[in-house]
Amino acid sequence: ACFSLLPSPPVIKKKVCRSCPNAALIRWESGNTNPVDSYTVELGEISRERSETAVTESIVGIPTYESIIQLLSGRSYLIYVRAVNIGGPSERSDPVIIYTTGGTLFHLNEETAHPSLAISEDGFTMFYGDEYTELNDITLSDNAFSRCVAIMGELIPIRGKHYWEVEVEEHTEYRIGVAYEDTQRNGYLGANNTSWCMRHVMTPSRHKYEFLHNGSTPDIRITMHPKRIGVSLDYETGKLAFFNTDLSQHIYTYKCHFLHYVHPCFALEKPGALTVHNGIEAPEYITFS
Amino acid sequence: MSAAPFLTAVARVITRHKLYTIRLHTSSYTAVKAMALTLVSSNKCFDGFQKVFEHDSTELKCKMRFGIYLPPKAEGGKCPVLYWLSGLTCTEQNFITKAGSQQEAAEHGIIIVSPDTSPRGCNIEGEDESWDFGTGAGFYVNATEDQWKVNYRMYSYITEELPHLINSNFPADSERMSISGHSMGGHGALICALKNPGKYKSVSAFAPICNPMQCPWGQKAFSGYLGSDKSKWESYDATVLVSAYSGPQLDILIDQGRDDQFLAAGQLLPDNFIAACTEKKIPVVFRLQQGYDHSYYFVCSFISNHIKHHAKYLNA
Repeated sequence: ACFSLLPSPPVIKKKVCRSCPNAALIRWESGNTNPVDSYTVELGEISRERSETAVTESIVGIPTYESIIQLLSGRSYLIYVRAVNIGGPSERSDPVIIYTTGGTLFHLNEETAHPSLAISEDGFTMFYGDEYTELNDITLSDNAFSRCVAIMGELIPIRGKHYWEVEVEEHTEYRIGVAYEDTQRNGYLGANNTSWCMRHVMTPSRHKYEFLHNGSTPDIRITMHPKRIGVSLDYETGKLAFFNTDLSQHIYTYKCHFLHYVHPCFALEKPGALTVHNGIEAPEYITFS
Repeated sequence: MSAAPFLTAVARVITRHKLYTIRLHTSSYTAVKAMALTLVSSNKCFDGFQKVFEHDSTELKCKMRFGIYLPPKAEGGKCPVLYWLSGLTCTEQNFITKAGSQQEAAEHGIIIVSPDTSPRGCNIEGEDESWDFGTGAGFYVNATEDQWKVNYRMYSYITEELPHLINSNFPADSERMSISGHSMGGHGALICALKNPGKYKSVSAFAPICNPMQCPWGQKAFSGYLGSDKSKWESYDATVLVSAYSGPQLDILIDQGRDDQFLAAGQLLPDNFIAACTEKKIPVVFRLQQGYDHSYYFVCSFISNHIKHHAKYLNA
């Protein structure tokens, strides 16, 4: 007789899970040396009334180490993963808690970071030090930006609305926006047709703001210099909008029909720092843009 | 029509239609006559109505017309109001027929009032001599020069008489109004907002005359209406008013066609206004639109953006 061992439970990679108001992207490690046939994701909504969260939904037959799960907004969920092989399912993994209350959550992908960028421990602040790192001696990964001192975030690949904010100082020179996953790593954000960004530079006489895509920008002048920029992405209406959140002021909206999913991207033009804030509910005024 | 038959007719209406409560003004008949509006036209538009009314203006001492778009939402309750000021040579017709504003106004439940640009038929010598002074060119000031001071009081008409009239006769929310305009009307919108902090919830403009004291149009109009003492011109110049502004935070949206012949001719001077706003920390988003000129083709291309800008504050 053949006795099949049950697989071990997988290990959810909590640091790379992402969410937005209507979905979550869960990733895990197999947790098994032997091959696994498929994975099952189980989830239940955390409610204040019950101390134990009951599993109310199962997604079976997942062939890979990740899954995008549709969720309802404004809730908290406990999510588990089981590995399944011929003998049956494993025990549940340790759960990950996902909140769909606070807007879109994403992390900066350090693999894409230009070597001159340093990322803070919490993973949300980037620093461009005083010296532009010479690239000759460094073996760059294929995934890293090599000219533009930039980094990409990893946005959950799901249609709908996403919102995040970027904190800068008045004189920070930056490019912030979105780009396709495969945007040219040796290019500059906004200079090609695979990226869109708001750019701020200082000239001897004034602050200059550009909204770059494919190398061109409209002529926009603003009188108040944003220190906190709200970025709103809406796949359905094909809009990417920028706001001065301190003033609830709309600055500019791109109308573009994205052919693929995009990721948030951030770059510094000269030494300085920039902090990304996400998991924020989009303010009401962004609908009027 | 004299008072007695009018009042009797009203009384007959009251008895016949007991469902309606009609509040009768007990003030004098003259006041009732001044408030009386005559419907000139009405067209259904995006499920609301684009109407034009005529009335006897007490400020301008002549008959004045204005357009008013009532969105579908106005049937069920009070709506906020956007005042639109038109430019040189316009009447109340240009905006309502050319700007394509009704769709966005209907969607956001906003009433749009578009008055005429000057008093008409006042028999003032020289009023029809130029297209940029006199008829169709009121410049939204209260004139002080003898010939013009009786009739040319567009500033008071726009900021006092017209809102009072609108609030009394239409389902308008008197606490929520905004202002916008094109060219000379852009100048009007900016000065009305700057001179009345807190009165307008938001302001925007298309190709405004930003610094009339420094451009030929403004110099001609101001010397004609206000005389040669330039210190009297300052209170009607947006760029000057900005430096003295203190009031609730503004959020000004300005669109300007890059191919606008009047921009090239130095009539509009937006750079001066932007510099003054930067200095005074007044939020402005100024967009120079590639390929666009000074016409209503330009206005209608961006009117939805402006109405959305106002809706953000009017519907807050």
